[in-house]
Amino acid sequence: MIELRGVTLTYPNGTRALDDIDLEIGKADFVFLVGYSGTGKSSLLKLLYREVIPDSGEVIVDGIRVDKLRRGKIAALRRNIGVVFQDFKLLTHKTVWENVAFALQVTGARSRDVMRQVPRVLDLVGLSHKSRMLPGELSGGEQQRAAIARALVNNPKILLCDEPTGNLDPSNTTEIIELLQRINLKGTTVLVATHNQAVVDRMRRRVVRLENGRILHDDERGYYFRGLGQSPVLSG
Amino acid sequence: MDWGRVRFFLGEVFANFTRNAAMQFTAIGTVAVTIVMLGTFLYVRDTLATFGQGILKQIEIAVYLDDNATDAQAKALAASLAADERIASARYVPKAQGLQEMRQRLGSDFDTSLLTANPLPNAYRVAVRDADDVPAVAASITALPGVAKVDYAADTVTKLLKAADVIGRVGLAMIALLVLTAAIIIANTIRLTVFARRREIAIMQLVGATNMYIRMPFIAEGIIAGVVGATVAIGILALAQTQIVPKIASTLQFVPFHVDELRLAGELLLVGAAVGLISSWFSVGRYLRA
Repeated sequence: MIELRGVTLTYPNGTRALDDIDLEIGKADFVFLVGYSGTGKSSLLKLLYREVIPDSGEVIVDGIRVDKLRRGKIAALRRNIGVVFQDFKLLTHKTVWENVAFALQVTGARSRDVMRQVPRVLDLVGLSHKSRMLPGELSGGEQQRAAIARALVNNPKILLCDEPTGNLDPSNTTEIIELLQRINLKGTTVLVATHNQAVVDRMRRRVVRLENGRILHDDERGYYFRGLGQSPVLSG
Repeated sequence: MDWGRVRFFLGEVFANFTRNAAMQFTAIGTVAVTIVMLGTFLYVRDTLATFGQGILKQIEIAVYLDDNATDAQAKALAASLAADERIASARYVPKAQGLQEMRQRLGSDFDTSLLTANPLPNAYRVAVRDADDVPAVAASITALPGVAKVDYAADTVTKLLKAADVIGRVGLAMIALLVLTAAIIIANTIRLTVFARRREIAIMQLVGATNMYIRMPFIAEGIIAGVVGATVAIGILALAQTQIVPKIASTLQFVPFHVDELRLAGELLLVGAAVGLISSWFSVGRYLRA
C-alpha cells in the first residue's frame, strides 16, 4: 500500500529531514512511527500526501508514484488518504456535522452522498449525538474524533495520524487509539506518528523508529525503545 | 439539479463576502468610481466623435477646372469622380452659379458689380464619405487631366484628424490605467479573503478538493464585486444622463448628444465582470501555487 525507496528529503533551509529511507507498509497494516521531535516523522507523512516532494527516491502510495504526481492529480490522491493532526484542524465556526460534511462537499459530492456518509462516520467515531455542536463545545478527545470522522468520510484506504494524541489526556488518548484500531480492523491502513511511549508499548504493533532522518529499527510487535521491553509507565 | 450542492456553494460565496465586508465595500466603490469615469470618458469620446464626424462630413473638396479643358476632358473627369468609391457626391458648379453662390456668401462685403467678367472657373464640389480620405482623394483628383487646382481646408482636416487620434490614444491609456487600478484593488480584496479563509483552504486541499473547486467561490466573489460596482456606476451615469446632459445640451446646441446608452451600459457591465474575474483568478491562483 505504501512504499518508500531510497527517499531523501532536504528542506529549503538545508536541513536534511529524511536520509535514504526504505520502508514498505502493507494493506490494512497498523504502524507506529516513533522518534523524538524533529526526526522526520511528520516529513515522512507529508511525502505520502504530496505536501512535500523528495530530492531523490520513490514514493509509492496505492500503486501511484506520488513523487512524480502531476499537480492536477494531487486532489485525487488526497481523497484516498485521510490525515489527522495533533491540533485537530477543525473549522471553529462550523458544527461537527458541517466539519465532516465539508470534506465531502468541497470534493463535489452529491448531497445524497453527504446525507448518507456523514451519519455513518459520526456513528463510527461515536459522535452522532453531538453532531450539532461546535468544536469549542467539545472535549479534546471528541474534537479529535470529529477530525477522524472528517478524515474517513471519503472512505480513504489510508489514514495518516500526526501526533493524534499529542494534545489529549491519558483517557482520551486510549479512546482515540482504540478508535484507530477499530478503523484498522475494517481494512484501512493506519500510520500513526507519535512519541507517546506508553501507547506504543501497550499496543505491541509494528514500530518504525526514526532518528536523524534515518530508520533506526523496524520491528513487528515492537516497543518504543528496542530491547527495553515494556515501559514502567502504563497509565497513558 | 442538486440543490444541496448549490446551497453549499452559495453559502461559501456569502461567507467570503461577509468575512470581509468592509474591504469588499471598498472594492465595489473603487470599481464604481472607475466605471463612472470610464463611462463618462466613453460618453464624451463618442459624443466628440459624432461631433467631429459631423464637421468633417461638411468639408468639401473644391475642384477647379482648367478654362481650356476640352469637353472630352470634362466628361472623363465627371466619370472618374463618379467611379471613385471614396466619393459620396460630386456636384458640378458652372462658373455663373459659382459667382452667384459667392455673392450670396459674401453679401454686401464684396461689390461684385465691379467685375466686368466672371473670374471663376467651372468647378466640382466633391464630398468624401470618410473624412480620413480627404487628403488622398484630393491628391488623386489633382492628377486628373483638365483639373487646374484642387482646394480643401487642409489644415482644418488634418488638425481635426490628429485631435481625434490623440483623444483616442489618451483615452485608451486612461482606460487601461483606470481598469488596472480597479483590478489591483479587487485582487487585494480577494487576497485578504483568501488569507481570512486560509484554514478552510488548507483543509480543502488536505481532503482533496481540486484547485478549480477552491477557486470558484473566490472568483464568484470577484465577479460579483465587479458587476455590483458596474451596476452602481451605471445607475450614477443614468442619473447624470437624465439630469445633467439635457442642461449641457441646451447650452451647446450644436453638439449632437447621440450615444447608444444601452450598448454603453452593456460594455461597462462586461468590463466590471471581466475585471473581477481576471483579478480574482490571479489572486487566488498565486496563493494556491505558493
